[in-house]
Amino acid sequence: MFLKILPGKIKSSVKPNPNPNNELTPPINQKSMKKKNKKQKSEFDFCKVCNRNHDEGQRHKYFPSHTNSLSKFFSRFQNKLTEVRFFLKNPSFLRLELASRNRLWCIFCDCDIDELGSSFACQNAINHLASGDHLKNLKHFLWKYGGGMDRVDAFRISQADIAKWETKCKSLKSEAAPCGGTSQGFPSGLSNDIHKELDYENLNNYEKNTLHHLNSNISNVVMPLQQHTNEYQVSRLEHSGVANVGSNMHVITSTLSVDPCDGTSLWNANNLMAYGNGAVNDSNCSGDVSHNKKGANQDERAFSRENISRGLQNITQISSFLLREAGGNVHSGAPPPWFEETQGDQLNVQLNQVSTLNKSGKLKLNPKRVGAAWAEKRKMEMEMEKRGGIVKSDCDPNWLPNFGRVWQSGSRKESRKEFEFEKQKQPNVHSLSEMPMEIKPYVSKRMRRDEGEHSGDPHLN
Amino acid sequence: MSYLLTTLTKKKEIDTIIRDTIDKVLVLRFGRAMDALCLQLDDILAKSSRDVSKFADVALVDIDSEDVQVYVKYFDITLIPSTVFFFNAHHMKMDSGTADHTKWVGAFHRKQDFIDVVEAIYRGAMKGKLIVNCPLPPERIPKYQLLYKDV
Repeated sequence: MFLKILPGKIKSSVKPNPNPNNELTPPINQKSMKKKNKKQKSEFDFCKVCNRNHDEGQRHKYFPSHTNSLSKFFSRFQNKLTEVRFFLKNPSFLRLELASRNRLWCIFCDCDIDELGSSFACQNAINHLASGDHLKNLKHFLWKYGGGMDRVDAFRISQADIAKWETKCKSLKSEAAPCGGTSQGFPSGLSNDIHKELDYENLNNYEKNTLHHLNSNISNVVMPLQQHTNEYQVSRLEHSGVANVGSNMHVITSTLSVDPCDGTSLWNANNLMAYGNGAVNDSNCSGDVSHNKKGANQDERAFSRENISRGLQNITQISSFLLREAGGNVHSGAPPPWFEETQGDQLNVQLNQVSTLNKSGKLKLNPKRVGAAWAEKRKMEMEMEKRGGIVKSDCDPNWLPNFGRVWQSGSRKESRKEFEFEKQKQPNVHSLSEMPMEIKPYVSKRMRRDEGEHSGDPHLN
Repeated sequence: MSYLLTTLTKKKEIDTIIRDTIDKVLVLRFGRAMDALCLQLDDILAKSSRDVSKFADVALVDIDSEDVQVYVKYFDITLIPSTVFFFNAHHMKMDSGTADHTKWVGAFHRKQDFIDVVEAIYRGAMKGKLIVNCPLPPERIPKYQLLYKDV
């Protein structure tokens, strides 16, 4: 950036015009010239965010296109991270067959994180996000691509969080251990029990051993789902005279803190299965129910989807839900319940309006076009003909289109009048002109007329 | 003669087609099927009729038929092939640097020329212009001598 003033070559470096000495010092001269003229010249660099090469150097991260791409980039990654965070707060077991599906690409470390060999959902991902290497890469990334250094915590897991997670995992494991053998034997019988009885231990065992986590869909969806089922459970169990069911549901939202004290087993159950359980904290119940309605539809959808893939146990529950909500679901294409019927009608109306608008838009586009009035009129006529069978098609045999003639000056109407006049004038001429037409390939009207006049004059007179 | 394009021999047919072509350019070629230049033009018309089908219709008129003579006179057709353009039953003129703006006299050098001409007409018509400029360079416009009454 600064001109290097070399002894004995000051003049040459300063002068813009190449001097005789230039040949001796070309590289230095050019470099200094380049530095003078192009301060920003830098080598091409690849921007991971914009996915392109650029030679803007350090300035690139401030460009608006880059900031847009960056925000999109981050939001995409954040979506994936929300799932991980969910499992950070609610650790659950990971079934082996589903482990291969769980993969996360860390954009900061440029590495793939899979879940092979992990016993808990997103275990590897959580560990990675808490690692020191990841933090280092994250900071470097934010420095290089300008995300704002204050966003470091958004993309990693703090030590405190991971410590909590580990304790939860341990407790999960310890609870799962004694009940290891009972996983397979839970066909529909248990599902019936779930609704009707509160068999605390059975439920816990069952849930632990059959839990599995779907990929990205679950995290945001499952939480409200849980509350929804919670509500259901609450209502049913209240009917059946059992209290404290709803409070099972530790609301697993990011806002409320979960109290794991009554066993993470219950908590896990609530995550995905929404089974009523026994003794739980009352305190959490009230808060839960309020959230239920919001997420109701999402719950149902995710829940049914999830449950279908789960196994026999859930079938009963799904069907019960369906019975309850007979309006159809997303699979049947029904509008979501929050979309009331009136609104649905409005939507249809709007759609129709839009479609008609589109059509009318075309018409509106060119009202000034040539013959617009004629076209409209003609369209109406044609429609009437189609519908009513009104035969208007036989127009006047003397009808002539709007034509501006060659040798006339004035409006087209005048030309037509002229023509009509001429037509009346030469009815006899026409028959005589056929002879010359045979000889010549084509005889012009003028010539024909002239000939006609010569021969036809005596007749006229 | 092209078997793909409709040939009209009666005034009524011409009237019908002019009246029924709505919001599309109507290209009427007046000529004789056996004429060499007409054949050339017909060939180009036939080949490009599909390409312009969304905004133009093409039809041939046989000037040898008697019924059509009124149009031959009305349109001042003295040289063939002559192509007249209509839009919504209104006649469209094109200024191609020749003496006669009311029609296109002669054939086209290429398909694309024809398509360009029709497009220019369509665009002008949509804007409400009754006369448009020819998009072709002068070397591709057929030249002819127009006889006037006194000449």
